[in-house]
Amino acid sequence: MIKLLRIEWMKIKNYNAFIVISAFFALGIFASNYLAYSFKKNIIDPADPTGFLSGSSPFAFPKVWQTVSYYSGYMLLLPGLLLLILVTNEFTYKTHRQNIIDGVSRTQFTQVKLLMGLLIAAISTLLVFFTAFIFGFAVNKGAFSFSGIENVGYFFLKALTYNFLAILFGVLIRRTGFAIAVYFIYTVVENGISLALLGWAVNIKKEHNTDLGNMGNYLPMNAADGLIYSPFDSFTNMANKILPSDYTWLVLSLAIVYIVLFYFWSINKMIKSDL
Amino acid sequence: MSILSIEDLRKDYGRVQALKGVTFNVPKGSVFGILGPNGSGKTTMLGIIMDILKPTAGTYKLFGEVPNETHRRKIGTFLETPNFYHYLSAQKNLEIAAAIKERGQNDIAKVLDLVNLTQRKDSRFSTYSLGMKQRLAIASCLLGDPEVLILDEPTNGLDPVGIAEIRQLIKDLQQQGKTIIMASHLLDEVEKVCTHVAILKKGILVATGDVNEILSNEDIIEVGAADMLKLSATLDSLKGYSSIKQQDKLIQLFYPVGTADVETVNRHCFTNGTILNHLQLKKKSLEAKFFELTN
Repeated sequence: MIKLLRIEWMKIKNYNAFIVISAFFALGIFASNYLAYSFKKNIIDPADPTGFLSGSSPFAFPKVWQTVSYYSGYMLLLPGLLLLILVTNEFTYKTHRQNIIDGVSRTQFTQVKLLMGLLIAAISTLLVFFTAFIFGFAVNKGAFSFSGIENVGYFFLKALTYNFLAILFGVLIRRTGFAIAVYFIYTVVENGISLALLGWAVNIKKEHNTDLGNMGNYLPMNAADGLIYSPFDSFTNMANKILPSDYTWLVLSLAIVYIVLFYFWSINKMIKSDL
Repeated sequence: MSILSIEDLRKDYGRVQALKGVTFNVPKGSVFGILGPNGSGKTTMLGIIMDILKPTAGTYKLFGEVPNETHRRKIGTFLETPNFYHYLSAQKNLEIAAAIKERGQNDIAKVLDLVNLTQRKDSRFSTYSLGMKQRLAIASCLLGDPEVLILDEPTNGLDPVGIAEIRQLIKDLQQQGKTIIMASHLLDEVEKVCTHVAILKKGILVATGDVNEILSNEDIIEVGAADMLKLSATLDSLKGYSSIKQQDKLIQLFYPVGTADVETVNRHCFTNGTILNHLQLKKKSLEAKFFELTN
């Protein structure tokens, strides 16, 4: 696998799209958090100097782990996009065929792409960890704490879900433009369905007094999303008040199930089809 | 030992049967041509052998073994189109190919030189002309000096000089004892470079064997007599044929196209006291095969 990873590196290190998207992603993580930070500092704080309404700074320890994990999540479509391009490029250039002809197995070909997805998720997570660390240190270094660090772990699961789903779409659809369109439309559609499911869960609660949790979080991309609450979580708070049962264990398990599903689905698709 | 053996290979695309049970062997050291018109199943068959297509039924073996990716590393294969990363140079593309094959990293300069791409080795693949792409694909096949090469329409898109160079290269490689499997729809090309041939038509194997037997571009007169020894001696004094071949109950006389004269043969044998019990003119089987192909 090390050998195959080195080959993947040879493929991407001179690829402009890889360099550009990676740079945008790294910058984006910092920028999105800085935007939220400066919004809080320059707009909310002057209006609410005692912190009566907004509470303590979301960028102070220990809340910063959750805050940065949440805002960085918006950037995760970028590595997804990158992986989509990398996978569909192989089909466009027919290099997937040449790789296999030259001596890679179909399983190895797919596995190394998934491994790239894993590595990119891990690097993204490290980036989030350090970003949180820097913000937390800048705002309130005295309160340093690892409490809430599980949010960074959830961010990793979220990154992994986005990346594996992108690879799966790439393998299933093969055509770059089409795959990207489907990936983005899917995220929008899933969010829509997720809201509808939340509404349904609220209705069930009202009519049958049965709390099924936020069922919107049972869907693939929302499972990992739902583990990380917004630091200004009025909406989540409202949902939590109506559906108070803690289904974190279920959402967490589902997130892992989806990741495993995407992994095997991608490999299985590549093993079974004509290339 | 067979380098490649194929057993009853079938491939369906929905209702279309691209291969309908093909069986043959490729002997070591041969230049094996797979001949057939467009759509006859040549590329489909090679695609199955290289594991980029899944057969509907049937089996195949490489080097006498059930194949996996390690066998493919020992074969230089060029299938259908040159497949490279468009944004990378020839040099970098070959580095990737050599890394996958786990061999030939030191051959890159040599193979680029062999296909006259040294000067352009640092240009992006996307800037190459069709002929250059084709030559790069052949260069990639030669990495690591493989014992076996599989080439699908290797002269496609090349200019006449390029075609001649590739044919010469194939002959040179065969001289070195390599086995070459080559698909082509050009009868003339197969005839010029191949030692063996398999002819495909609409997914069916029409014929396979020695190229001189299958594609012989000659007229043949077959004769037979009760006393074969005497017949053989009689024919020694006959003139005009280019070669003679003794089978167990027949003798075949090969003539350059259009020069075979059955009457002369008959008269010669009769005057020399041999009565023929079999006398037949076979028109060049090349045309016969081609008729079958294009029929």
